[in-house]
Amino acid sequence: MKEKKMTRRGLMSTAAGVAAFTIVPRHVLGGAGQTPPSEKLNIAGVGIGGQGGADLRALGSQNIVALCDVDWQHAAGTFKRYPQAKQYKNFREMLDKEDKNIEGVVVATPDHLHAIVSMAAIKRGKHVYCEKPLTHTVFEAKALAEAAREHKVATQMGNQGQAGEEVRLLCETIWDGAIGQVREVHVWTDRPLHGTNEWYWPQGVDRPKDTPPVPETLDWDLWLGPAPTRPYNPAYLPFIWRGWWDFGTGALGDIGCHSLDPVFRALKLGYPTSVEACCTLVNNETYPVASRVTYEFPARGDLAPVKLHWYDGGMKPPRPPELEDGRRWDTNGALYIGDKGKMLGGRLIPESRQKEYGKPPQKLERSPGHYQEWVNACKGGKPAGSNFPDHAGLLAQVVLLGNVALRPALKAEKFLGTKLLWDAKEFKFTNVPEANQYLTKEYREGWGL
Amino acid sequence: MMDSINRRRFLSGTAGAAAAFTIVPGHVLAGAAGQRPSEKLNLAAIGVGGMGAYNISQCSTENFVALCDVDDAYAAKVFDKFPNARKYRDFRVMLDKEEKNIDAVLIATPDHTHYVIAMACIKRGKHVYCQKPLAHSIGEVRKLTEAARAAKVQTQMGNQGHSSDEIRMLWEWIADGAIGPVHEVYAWSDRPVGGDPWSDFPIMARPKETPEVPKTLDWDLWLGPVQYRPYHPIYCPMSWRGWWDFGTGALGDMGCHILDPAFWTLKLGYPTRVEATTTHYQPEVASETYPRAAIVRYEFPARGDMPPVKLTWSDGRLMPLRPRDLEPGRRLEGNGALLIGEKGTIMHGSHGAGGVRIIPEEKMKAYKRPERTLPRVRRGQAGHEQDWIRACKDGKSASSSFDYGGPLTEMVLLGVLAMRLKDTPLEWDPVNLKVTNVEEANKYINPPYRQGWTL
Repeated sequence: MKEKKMTRRGLMSTAAGVAAFTIVPRHVLGGAGQTPPSEKLNIAGVGIGGQGGADLRALGSQNIVALCDVDWQHAAGTFKRYPQAKQYKNFREMLDKEDKNIEGVVVATPDHLHAIVSMAAIKRGKHVYCEKPLTHTVFEAKALAEAAREHKVATQMGNQGQAGEEVRLLCETIWDGAIGQVREVHVWTDRPLHGTNEWYWPQGVDRPKDTPPVPETLDWDLWLGPAPTRPYNPAYLPFIWRGWWDFGTGALGDIGCHSLDPVFRALKLGYPTSVEACCTLVNNETYPVASRVTYEFPARGDLAPVKLHWYDGGMKPPRPPELEDGRRWDTNGALYIGDKGKMLGGRLIPESRQKEYGKPPQKLERSPGHYQEWVNACKGGKPAGSNFPDHAGLLAQVVLLGNVALRPALKAEKFLGTKLLWDAKEFKFTNVPEANQYLTKEYREGWGL
Repeated sequence: MMDSINRRRFLSGTAGAAAAFTIVPGHVLAGAAGQRPSEKLNLAAIGVGGMGAYNISQCSTENFVALCDVDDAYAAKVFDKFPNARKYRDFRVMLDKEEKNIDAVLIATPDHTHYVIAMACIKRGKHVYCQKPLAHSIGEVRKLTEAARAAKVQTQMGNQGHSSDEIRMLWEWIADGAIGPVHEVYAWSDRPVGGDPWSDFPIMARPKETPEVPKTLDWDLWLGPVQYRPYHPIYCPMSWRGWWDFGTGALGDMGCHILDPAFWTLKLGYPTRVEATTTHYQPEVASETYPRAAIVRYEFPARGDMPPVKLTWSDGRLMPLRPRDLEPGRRLEGNGALLIGEKGTIMHGSHGAGGVRIIPEEKMKAYKRPERTLPRVRRGQAGHEQDWIRACKDGKSASSSFDYGGPLTEMVLLGVLAMRLKDTPLEWDPVNLKVTNVEEANKYINPPYRQGWTL
């Protein structure tokens, strides 16, 4: 236990500095996580119909003791899978009643409830696994990271790619100097559209006018949670809440926490100094159909300043000439441009360059698996790779700063061509005061962190 | 004489290396002398309901003897203004019957019929004013340019900004080295607004309903050379720009205005490479209408002393990054361009380098402007149509004759073509009008016409 605390403190001090996170190899920390204790964790799930169900399956070796969902039809399959688990609609009631029975909470509600549920759990000293993006607003991500640190609970955000081999190879290759200093990174996704075929979820649309009755299986008021009241409509759920400002975080929020994670690790990024965004026509209801967001990061020690360009809605950066003819130029990807070469995802391009280079010297410990990392941390092992205080909190804040820059009010004519200058110390935009209101949101009466 | 020398220079340029040609403004060659006396031209106009109405009003100094439109209702206002002009629906009938009565023709139809109409006029030796973009496909543009040159008719493309004082000022500043050699250009447009199919350009699948054709419209003639499809009001008279078959999208529409200043003053000529990325959309939508937004990246080779240029076009409200030289508190326009030089940056708005400034303002104020070397067009941008009238009378080419408007449009349409094959860099051979690395792209250079419409 003592060892764990010291480790946390060590990590905390790194997080406070410029290089916001460090992946500390397990052997440095000692073997706490290596021997799995015989005891199983008692876990509760909140939001279990969609990704939450998948998360609980991945944690199947543990005890699932309580399940909570506002939509019992969507949740039916998961309820059935864990017949011994107690069933709830209201997470607050569940936390009250099950306080003594649960050690960890898996949060996989829509984005607008992540922080509310996670914070309530953290304040009760529960370990938290929360889906990405960590929160709905920038302030919430900061608050969760701080609370997790203060309450010394084990946390993990649901960007499972962080536990993989590819991100480790990417980091080790870049740290080995294989492409020199990286000053420019392009990351793109086809979302909110799936290929050219169909919507993952609609964006760029208006609020529906019809008011169908709320299904009996759904507690609409609880689903709304902290969001302003509006009539129920199937246009919002399940899953397709992602495109609505009040509930989701758009393509950037959905995919950014996955695909920007390796950039943060490999380039040791902290807060940006500026955020600049442009997008197709955007309204007050939904995120735009396509956007480009550019972040500028300052130099970090010996590392050069970085411009990070995000594209969604199917837009891509120029195809690099190093990519051989006929090779796939995927609908989702990341391109790292260094002084001495380029990497597409985790590989040097052209492929001949990768073959010649081979494998980088191993510097990072390999993961026992994304979910296992959290289980280990809950049981006193080392912090998980995407824990809130050291990594996920910052990553989510930066992703969500991009969404601030996409706000319709900041796309008005008078703001065309505006670059938002970010002061991380003051935690505000310095040149456009109007932007700062979007760092947080108003909560409906009775709701708050 | 001067004119023919220029023509020859121009011809050799297009036949040789892409970089070799130089576009000399009409006025350098024309001079003020030799204006014909005040004899009026006999004009015809085809496509009079929309932009045509404005072009006609700008030519009120001349006689309008014939007006043609396939849509009586849309044309009614203009038709009524000219009770003495004979009215036609079919431009072919008009040209047959009025052959001897007309000297020159104004064309302001949708993009997909520019070519067939302009070519018919040129073949009959008529002077032509044609709206931008000059035509719908690159092959059409090249043929029109060459035919006009061979027929020695006076032409003008409707990019009226090219007659502005400001575009000439920009030429002089660039020639003066005001911002040093230019390596990068960024241009952007807020069109299409996107989203609502009825507001701006439609972004939608082909409509399935088949409403009755209004009695006032000859739908078959409106379609012209394009493959038959049932009538729908989403195509005409307003929203044809957003459909692949009829319009050329935001780039075709606005590119001829916004890219004009850089194309002219930097003597860009033909690009060697172009690549486009666009928003995704469902195939049944993507095959019919232009995307909500596109970024098109052109590469131009070195031209004489001028270094290679990378030009990036963004539309659908996408924009370039804020230029470093722009002072705090100052914003970008919804449409405009940035020329980034080794010694500074120039920013301008949409038509004819409107509002052209060196940025920041402090640098603009400190700049010692060079002397005027280029003659101005009388009344500037507002005199664009009259400049053509003048050319028809004195035989010295107009400010944006097809010799200039043609290559400008080819460049613009190459970007439009790249949007068809998004995320694929295309290598361009401007002499043979061929994409050399992606055969599939070449089917868009000279697409086939509906039977009966081949010239």
